Amino acid sequence: MDPAGVYATSYSADSALVRTRAQAICLVVFLALLVAAPFVVGPRLLAISTVMLISSVVAVGLQINTGYAGQINLGQAAFMGVGAYAAGWLATRFGMPFWLTIPLGGCAAAVFGFIFGLSAVRIKGFYLALTTIAAQTLFHFFFLNLPWFGGSNGLQLEPATLFGFAFVSDRSLYYLCLVVTVIMTFGAYGIARGRHGRAFVAVRDDDVAAGMMGIDVVRTKATAFLVGAFYAGVGGALWAYFVRFVAVDQFTLFHSIWFIAMIIVGGMGSVTGALIGVFVIKAMQETFVTLGPSFVELFPGLGGELVFALMNVFLGGVIAAFLIFEPRGLMHRWNIIKRSYRMWPFPY
Amino acid sequence: MIDFLNYLINGALVGLLYALIAMGFVVIYRASKVFNIAQGELVVFGGFMVWWMIVQAGLPMAVGIPLAFVAAIAFGLAIEKIFFSRLVGESVFSMVMVTIGLLILIRGLVLVLFGPAVRPFPIIFPLKPIILGDILIPRSLLFGGLITIATGLGLSWFFNATRTGLRMTAVAEDHQVALSLGISVKRSIAFAWALGATLSTLGAIIFLSGKSLNFLASDIGLAALPVALLAGFESIAGVLLAGLIVGIVQGLVTAYVDPAVGGAVGSVFPFLIMLAILFIRPTGMFGWKTIERV
Repeated sequence: MDPAGVYATSYSADSALVRTRAQAICLVVFLALLVAAPFVVGPRLLAISTVMLISSVVAVGLQINTGYAGQINLGQAAFMGVGAYAAGWLATRFGMPFWLTIPLGGCAAAVFGFIFGLSAVRIKGFYLALTTIAAQTLFHFFFLNLPWFGGSNGLQLEPATLFGFAFVSDRSLYYLCLVVTVIMTFGAYGIARGRHGRAFVAVRDDDVAAGMMGIDVVRTKATAFLVGAFYAGVGGALWAYFVRFVAVDQFTLFHSIWFIAMIIVGGMGSVTGALIGVFVIKAMQETFVTLGPSFVELFPGLGGELVFALMNVFLGGVIAAFLIFEPRGLMHRWNIIKRSYRMWPFPY
Repeated sequence: MIDFLNYLINGALVGLLYALIAMGFVVIYRASKVFNIAQGELVVFGGFMVWWMIVQAGLPMAVGIPLAFVAAIAFGLAIEKIFFSRLVGESVFSMVMVTIGLLILIRGLVLVLFGPAVRPFPIIFPLKPIILGDILIPRSLLFGGLITIATGLGLSWFFNATRTGLRMTAVAEDHQVALSLGISVKRSIAFAWALGATLSTLGAIIFLSGKSLNFLASDIGLAALPVALLAGFESIAGVLLAGLIVGIVQGLVTAYVDPAVGGAVGSVFPFLIMLAILFIRPTGMFGWKTIERV
């Protein structure tokens, strides 16, 4: 909701993403902070930030698929893996530059995701969600056994290069991921506001009613999988260039579940929520990992693995608590605070 | 020919084990309409309970196993009390999402309580296989198979013929309708989780007897998923048949196709059958066909 006194006088102003000057300033400051970050934070934090950016792309894709279109997807990590392998294979086998392999990695994942989306023709509800677990199994099997992907040794990648400049340093990789993430995020806002995004929301809220309104339900569901998997693939390709090593163990069902956890905590049905969720979950994970050793020093009776295990207990509890107390995530909470601030002193 | 018979019988028995684990999914679905993604973690938890009672606490089996079941039931009831009793009236979507949180949570809990080390699981069924001519049948799987069939038929009768079972069936159909008919959704969900945890512990005993146990044993939950989907979530007796199909096909594929291809086709094949069958019959072989009304 906009603050009082802000109203649109033309259609383009009404559909604009940035509506007030304050929002524009916030956006510019936020982007400037992201650009300046590598010069402020240390190498470890920089690596964590890069992982956050990559996860953001994947989580935003899942947000479109699950948050907007309401199709639970338990195979997002597999889609990400397909993108990573495709990009790695195209780069090592054909020597393609990264600005081709990243989109093509996304496309490969999109095709893989689309196949599972297509099963929406026949399969509905939880059956559809659970067939995406099959994606995870099939991905693991094919990339481990097909001859082109290095089997259990995985794929090694050369660094991405542009006009002779190699993306080797942490800082350059951060910027590469930042640029891609920004493009993908704005794309997601576009999709969410546009015709397809509205169709997604209609199908999520009630697919029978959506069909009555003339929305092709099956096509919409398949498109949701296509778009979500494309985002996962792009994220996977970035991951391939970041780690420069791709193996099936990097993309397990457990990773998919973490992505779902991110959008639950951030808030279903909001692109910004996905970004917040990635930040919060990754930050908590890293805090546990960083504080773990000193925690163990404090209580020498506990083993090192215990910290990791405690992290799982804590985060599992956080996810459940969010679903029980704030099913719409942090984003919803933020909107409530914003609204009550604008309405003050009136309750509504 | 003898080899073939061996593969066939062992495949069928492994299939019945899958059916038992899948029954855990189905029972929770049949009494609460929630699909429990954390089923594999329940199996691990049950397994560790048995291990703890018998190996760690040194109780005799006749005492330890019943106590492990009691602990599993208490665990299931605790899950209902802490998480699901607060979610009655919320969408089924968020209940299923809670089970995702549960998956992470229970895995962490098992690691905190029992550690990541591989533990020897007590030998509950004698290790010596039964030998019929040239056919070898592992005892744990044979007894397990018989227990599975008995449990499956018993539960099927319970859900389809008794008053309590039909009440739970109503909950699986629609929470609101069940509530307005005066059925306690909360109690039904509590029962579902207690039963689900019991079946998981039973599955753990049959699956792990004489083997080793650590938190990775939860993969059996995933392996049993095609069985539950193939049967349709609503059918308990159907799970037995689906288990047999999946087990036999998987056994034969592992025996004859894997050496030729040099990969684990056997482990993905159930998923391929599942996808194929869901395309033909989207609700599984025996699932309910829901009619949508506007």
